[in-house]
Amino acid sequence: MSILGRVVATERKPNTPHEFHFWTALDSPVGIGTIVRVESAQPVNGALPVVYGVVVEGFGYTDVETPLHEVLGYDGAPGGEAGAPTKRTEIRLYSAAVLRHVPEEPLQPVAMGTVHLASDEDVAVALRMDAYLAPGASTGIPVGMYRSGATSSPVWLDADFLLGPEAAHLNISGVSGLATKTSAVEWLLASIFAHFPEKKGRVAAVCFNVKGPDLCFLDQPAAKLDDADRALYDRLGVPAEPFKDVEYYAPYTAKGYALNTLRSNEALAHNVKPLTWGLREVLQYAEVLLNKDDVDAKADALIDFIKERVVDQTFEDPKYLSTAHTVQSFGELERWFRDLLTGMEKQNAESWRTHHVATIRKVRNRLTNISTRCRGLVTDDGTVSDLPFGEFRDRAIYVVDVANVEADAQDLIFSRIVSTLREHLEKRSLGVEHVIVFVDELNKYAPSDGPDTYVRAMLLDIAERGRYLGLVLFAAQQFRSQVHRRVVGNSGTALFGRMDPDELATPGYATLSPATRTKLSTLEKGQLMVRHPHFSQPVFVRFPRPAVLSGREGVERFPQAAEQTLDEAVTRALRSLDRSITLEWVKESIALAEEDEVLRARNRTVQTRPDDVKAYFRGQLKRRVRAEPADARPRQPLKKSPTDDPYGF
Amino acid sequence: MPLESAAPAVRAVGEPTVKFGAFLDGIQSSHTEYNGRNGVPIVGGTVAAVIRRRADRVLHAWPGSPKILHAFYAPFAIIGESAVAWLRTGGIELVDTLERGDPPEARHPMELLALARNAVQRNRERLEVELAEAWCSSEAEPLFVDGGISGARNASQSELAVGVVKSHRTLYATPESLGVITALAVGMRTASFEIRPKHRTTVASWYLRLRDPRGRDPLFGLVRVEIARDSWSADRADQVSRWVLAERAPVSLPDKRWSTMAYGIRDCEEYLRAHL
Repeated sequence: MSILGRVVATERKPNTPHEFHFWTALDSPVGIGTIVRVESAQPVNGALPVVYGVVVEGFGYTDVETPLHEVLGYDGAPGGEAGAPTKRTEIRLYSAAVLRHVPEEPLQPVAMGTVHLASDEDVAVALRMDAYLAPGASTGIPVGMYRSGATSSPVWLDADFLLGPEAAHLNISGVSGLATKTSAVEWLLASIFAHFPEKKGRVAAVCFNVKGPDLCFLDQPAAKLDDADRALYDRLGVPAEPFKDVEYYAPYTAKGYALNTLRSNEALAHNVKPLTWGLREVLQYAEVLLNKDDVDAKADALIDFIKERVVDQTFEDPKYLSTAHTVQSFGELERWFRDLLTGMEKQNAESWRTHHVATIRKVRNRLTNISTRCRGLVTDDGTVSDLPFGEFRDRAIYVVDVANVEADAQDLIFSRIVSTLREHLEKRSLGVEHVIVFVDELNKYAPSDGPDTYVRAMLLDIAERGRYLGLVLFAAQQFRSQVHRRVVGNSGTALFGRMDPDELATPGYATLSPATRTKLSTLEKGQLMVRHPHFSQPVFVRFPRPAVLSGREGVERFPQAAEQTLDEAVTRALRSLDRSITLEWVKESIALAEEDEVLRARNRTVQTRPDDVKAYFRGQLKRRVRAEPADARPRQPLKKSPTDDPYGF
Repeated sequence: MPLESAAPAVRAVGEPTVKFGAFLDGIQSSHTEYNGRNGVPIVGGTVAAVIRRRADRVLHAWPGSPKILHAFYAPFAIIGESAVAWLRTGGIELVDTLERGDPPEARHPMELLALARNAVQRNRERLEVELAEAWCSSEAEPLFVDGGISGARNASQSELAVGVVKSHRTLYATPESLGVITALAVGMRTASFEIRPKHRTTVASWYLRLRDPRGRDPLFGLVRVEIARDSWSADRADQVSRWVLAERAPVSLPDKRWSTMAYGIRDCEEYLRAHL
């Protein structure tokens, strides 16, 4: 391979074991991020050392000592340049950070030698990928293509360091709107699903769609995928097709008619399922929604009492309660509170079982308020429609659409789903051994400052211990500096798209050279800087457009369904179970029912998925006698009134 | 001897024109390697010369250059045969600094040192001449030579070699014409004259002002141009002057001789320094 440059070292700019300098011809293809190989002619311990490095800084200058000399040379007229018959001697000098020494010992300053563009094999050695790309035992997951000049080499992440157990988690940073974060995750999930070794177990992903329609069309093919993208897919061994197994979950809207998601087009309804929880599910995570300043130790004790002694069992207290209560829903809990407080008032009691009446009133207020704050997610009647915990499928994606949900409900959904995933993984009962949890806007859920929330504590726990369980966090945010340092610090792999210059000025990026920071602030779409435990230095890669329909294109191709009436919403929900159900049948069936009752019947039907949908649905509605018109015929009185009756009329 | 009428004494040469295809220069360095018996200096000297050819405004070493010569310079008759034999074991060329017939008696060490330096300079000039001759016999573009060309027998008679002398230890001027030279304005040249050096070739020459001397010394930006005598004509003197004027940019700063040094010559020197 031709010589690209030569190593140079001066007293002012000496080479070290971790950095060296080299010069090249002016037209060389070297740029920031280029990987090079240095061959030295000076043997060490009988072997000629080879050093691999990545270019992190570039300098160019001429023999002009001061700019004033140039001014003098052209008599202050810049236009005179064209007349200069000779170009000044100019240099391209580059600094490279060492990726690897071969042999590793003794670790010496980089010796003088010739510099060459890295080949495919060189890239693999330089990034230590040779350790995990052995044929038959590869744990490589392609993350993109490294390109420089004529070199185009796949860059692989080590699955053991991406999904555990050695290291885990992925963090993506980048400014919004440049198709970096979401696109990178979509691409990487496809890559993982294509390359994750079967012997390492099954893997699935749970993605929280926190804004817009970003993740709403993962099962639809991309509108535009050009030849260059397809070539990248081919080279990296990933099929250029949408995800085959995707399920969507979304709570209902506040009205409760339709699911609260932008994926509401009827053509896509087949794999969109409601996400609804009842009292039992929510009470487990009540602390997510309850402000710690609001709920003190006393209130906490009462909540615990209710969880352990009241919910899901028959509770009797003849002294204060008028009847036995079986509390299984928020509605029943409210009735229990009302009965208890009435009983206490009657007996003029200030406390009940050590709980002061004020505490009871406060807890009642906070708990019953949850169903209002999380309307659409939390059901009064206890109907549960959840992710298929225990039946997760290999290479499946479960998207939880919380984009249009209130912040409180988002927190609740996130906490409960992740905690439940963790519980199942601990018991090895989830259905898969590895779960990737993708969450965007991490700076909102795990901020570096602000109060200590349940969600943040949980994210910290996943970041620090999740890898042992197979619970892997893929998180994204605009500003990495605003995310809790223990969360980003525990991410074994980090991807950086185009970055905001202000963000790059924060101390977290001080280890990057100015040129690398500049490159980061000007990255094109589809380019990433990758940090991975095997790579001594970050490397730049290019990844293909995701093979799935983007959110923006998706909402154009599959417009959101118009707002539905109750009849239409029920019809649509039931038709996903039985195509013979018509709007007329639904109208006739629910004509006499209350709205709450209809919604409850629909929810139970959708949850149960009975064989006979029509019969089941009607069975959920209260039986009512149909009203009939009054008979107009005159009735004969049983006994005539006496005509002389003075009181008659 | 004047080649042109002294009236007018100065002439405007016209707009600069880029024509030179290459630049020739040489450098030398010397230092005392050993002090022999009786303080006789044995000098190590390195000389080098290069032609830097210009293509697409970029300078490259012309094939066959640079020429580099490392040698020891010593007065053989004084240091004795055994010392000469010992020096030969180093495998480096040896140069006798004494002229044939010089008496081999003891001399002042500084005189011997000056003899050695002169020998080094002669070798440098020899390499320059070799390159100039080679260029003129094989190329078709004008060659910008640093210094005079009269020492090169063939090149000094070629239309291609143009010598540009920056230093003016010798001023070719009568008391009357000295004022003309020092008052020369930018882009003007003096009337041409012939130079007939002893043991060298006769050349045509004139003074040319490259840069405005106002506020500087009278010789600021002043060069003397030499071309082959037979190729001279007034028009050609103007033409060559335009070529030389075109080489004012880029300036050769930070070299102290920047007012008279073409950038191509500075490039030759930098190139050679990097090789020595």
